[in-house]
Amino acid sequence: MKNIGRKIAKFFSDIGNAVVKGDIFVKLSLLIMGAGYFGRKQYIKGIITTIFQAAAALFTVIVAIPYISKFSTLGTVEREMVFNIDTMKNEVNNYDHSFKILLFGMIGIIAIVVFVFLYLWNIIKVRELQILSQRGKHINSFREDVRALLNQKFHITLLFFPFLGITLFTIIPLLVMIMVAFTNYDQNHMPPSSLFTWVGFNNFKQLFTSTISVTFGYSFTKILIWTLIWAFFATFTTYIGGILLAMLINDKKTKAKKLWRTLFIIAIAVPQFVTLLLVRNFFADLGIVNTICSKIGLTDFLKTIGLVKDSLTYIPFLSDPNWAKVMIILINMWIGIPYLMLIATGVLMNIPADLKESAKIDGANGIQIFFKITMPYMLFVTGPYLVTSFVANINNFNVIYLLTQDVFVTHNQYLANSNAKETDLLVTWLYRLTQEYYNYKMASVIGIVVFIICATFTLFAFNSMIKGDKEEEFQ
Amino acid sequence: MNKLNSIIRHAFLTFLAIIWLIPIIWLVCTSLSGYPGINISKFFPDTWTLNNYKLLLWDVDTVSQFPRWFMNTLTIAIFSCMISSSFVLMVSYAMSCMRFNMRKPLMNLMVILNLFPGFLSMIAVYFILKSFNLTNSHIGLILIYSGSSGLGYLVAKGFFDTVPVPLREAAKLEGASEAKVFLKIVLPLSRPIIVYTVISSFLAPWMDFIFAKIILNSGISSDWTVSIGLYSMLEKTLINSYFARFCAGGVLISIPISILFIIMQKFYVEGITGGSVKG
Repeated sequence: MKNIGRKIAKFFSDIGNAVVKGDIFVKLSLLIMGAGYFGRKQYIKGIITTIFQAAAALFTVIVAIPYISKFSTLGTVEREMVFNIDTMKNEVNNYDHSFKILLFGMIGIIAIVVFVFLYLWNIIKVRELQILSQRGKHINSFREDVRALLNQKFHITLLFFPFLGITLFTIIPLLVMIMVAFTNYDQNHMPPSSLFTWVGFNNFKQLFTSTISVTFGYSFTKILIWTLIWAFFATFTTYIGGILLAMLINDKKTKAKKLWRTLFIIAIAVPQFVTLLLVRNFFADLGIVNTICSKIGLTDFLKTIGLVKDSLTYIPFLSDPNWAKVMIILINMWIGIPYLMLIATGVLMNIPADLKESAKIDGANGIQIFFKITMPYMLFVTGPYLVTSFVANINNFNVIYLLTQDVFVTHNQYLANSNAKETDLLVTWLYRLTQEYYNYKMASVIGIVVFIICATFTLFAFNSMIKGDKEEEFQ
Repeated sequence: MNKLNSIIRHAFLTFLAIIWLIPIIWLVCTSLSGYPGINISKFFPDTWTLNNYKLLLWDVDTVSQFPRWFMNTLTIAIFSCMISSSFVLMVSYAMSCMRFNMRKPLMNLMVILNLFPGFLSMIAVYFILKSFNLTNSHIGLILIYSGSSGLGYLVAKGFFDTVPVPLREAAKLEGASEAKVFLKIVLPLSRPIIVYTVISSFLAPWMDFIFAKIILNSGISSDWTVSIGLYSMLEKTLINSYFARFCAGGVLISIPISILFIIMQKFYVEGITGGSVKG
């Protein structure tokens, strides 16, 4: 932190220095950004900079200012039909579109901050040029400047477009959605027909409170608990299953290793939406598995031990909350274990053979070798992967959505009131809130909460991993 | 004793393999079934026919437009593959092999951005695209798949970290510029990671379901990609006449995807394990 403060202080003292000690061209460049370059005969750079300045000014005045001026209220003029005397027709008035104000206001503010920064930075650069020319040093021609972009400054060329994409498609949208969490943008406040406005922390309060009509607090706790249970089981069942399967296949005594591996890979090579939709029909209430189960008497057996309600004639694999949760985790093992098997195969082959040999000579048996050597090594190498896959499972949309959408209906009135289901993860709930109920404000709040959970977990996990530093142990 | 052990071991593996392959076998069998809906009483179809494939490929109706969807997805995949693989390689090379002031802050920023649920930003992206009239267009979808692809640079960075530094230094001493080092020296050595990046970004549009569903929401089925098209065949009113065709479509796209996937998985493992060993 201290470092950043020092850098900012230096930045501003440089500017002050440049303005005070600069010659006429530097001072002129306060007005026309290109002036400093014209003074050193860098004409093309001067022209480009001046054109940029003009474009920035135009953008600010024409696009940014009108939106930013309405940013504090998010619009006041509601859309309505007004009778136009000139055309003798009813016409739409010049209404405010709250979301556009939010979006373009945000883009405008970011753009202006960037412009101001470039303007100030330009002064420093121009002053540096002045010093160079006073000392009689070489000043780059335009061609040399361009060539530098392929050499010392190649990273700028490499990163410019990717980061432009990230800014446009991730950073700005995320900032806008974080803003939405503080507004009342929902089904009753949908632009363009009506306006929405700032409401402070009301939505966050709503997420943690529960009344008879508004049940977000209740649903949130339930879904959060299930999300964490799911993420835990989804990560560890596939992890352990994958390692065991890899060890089984890679064992010396197993024949035709490649054949086995390929068989399991085929299962995950088919796109998930095909296999998951298929499995969903496989286990449907009136599906083929239920037919087989009732034929062999499994349905009746489960009824007698009380796992299936007496009123049902089928096993509710994906329609009863508890059955569905177990099935989802099992089906996820089906998808995840081959992946982990692949990764574990790669890692297991890398375990230093002498480590195992010396353990054997010391008299360790298979189980001891597994727990003392194989597992610690696996955990060390795949630790970061384990953390990221836990986070990925918290955000695992496909499995839950494709297995339960249109099939699972909740009978819990409290959950239904807040558009949630027992099997929902926070992300599928978020998705349904936006796509089916247009409740953008609550969806944004949930998104922020998901981020906080993932960020806390990641920080915590990586910190404790670094503390238990085992780097030398296996090198 | 040893022999018994070996039999048990292989029997167990066979059992597991059967579990893993049952859905795939069911997919193939149903796609060859003479009955168009779901056969819930028998695993194997009563009559075998290639009719579903014929209907899917040559008999286009309002619900099933498989050839169209396939071409749509192929175009989207090719363009987004070109853009995203170059973005990924550019970002990962810069982060791995070049040293500049903003390197650490930018890498931290990307870690943070990756922690937000992906489609939280989708709602705002949707409105941005809408204001440029790009929703319900394939260009919009290409931009979504490739726009922020730079964020997925980690695996490729792990690979570039392993390219020996002296190699680059020597080239620079002989007067090669950074761009030349990247294009003429490092890239030709990086065939595995290029294959991995290209295939994985080519596969993304084939596997994706949600983004396509959000952007192509007009209900005009000739605009769709394979995934939403096939999903639509399973709607309650359609499933009884289209389930077998859904399976045929599933088989048809699974064949090329599986082949690419099997080529890719070799590099996937190297990328994931290789990167973390070096810390």
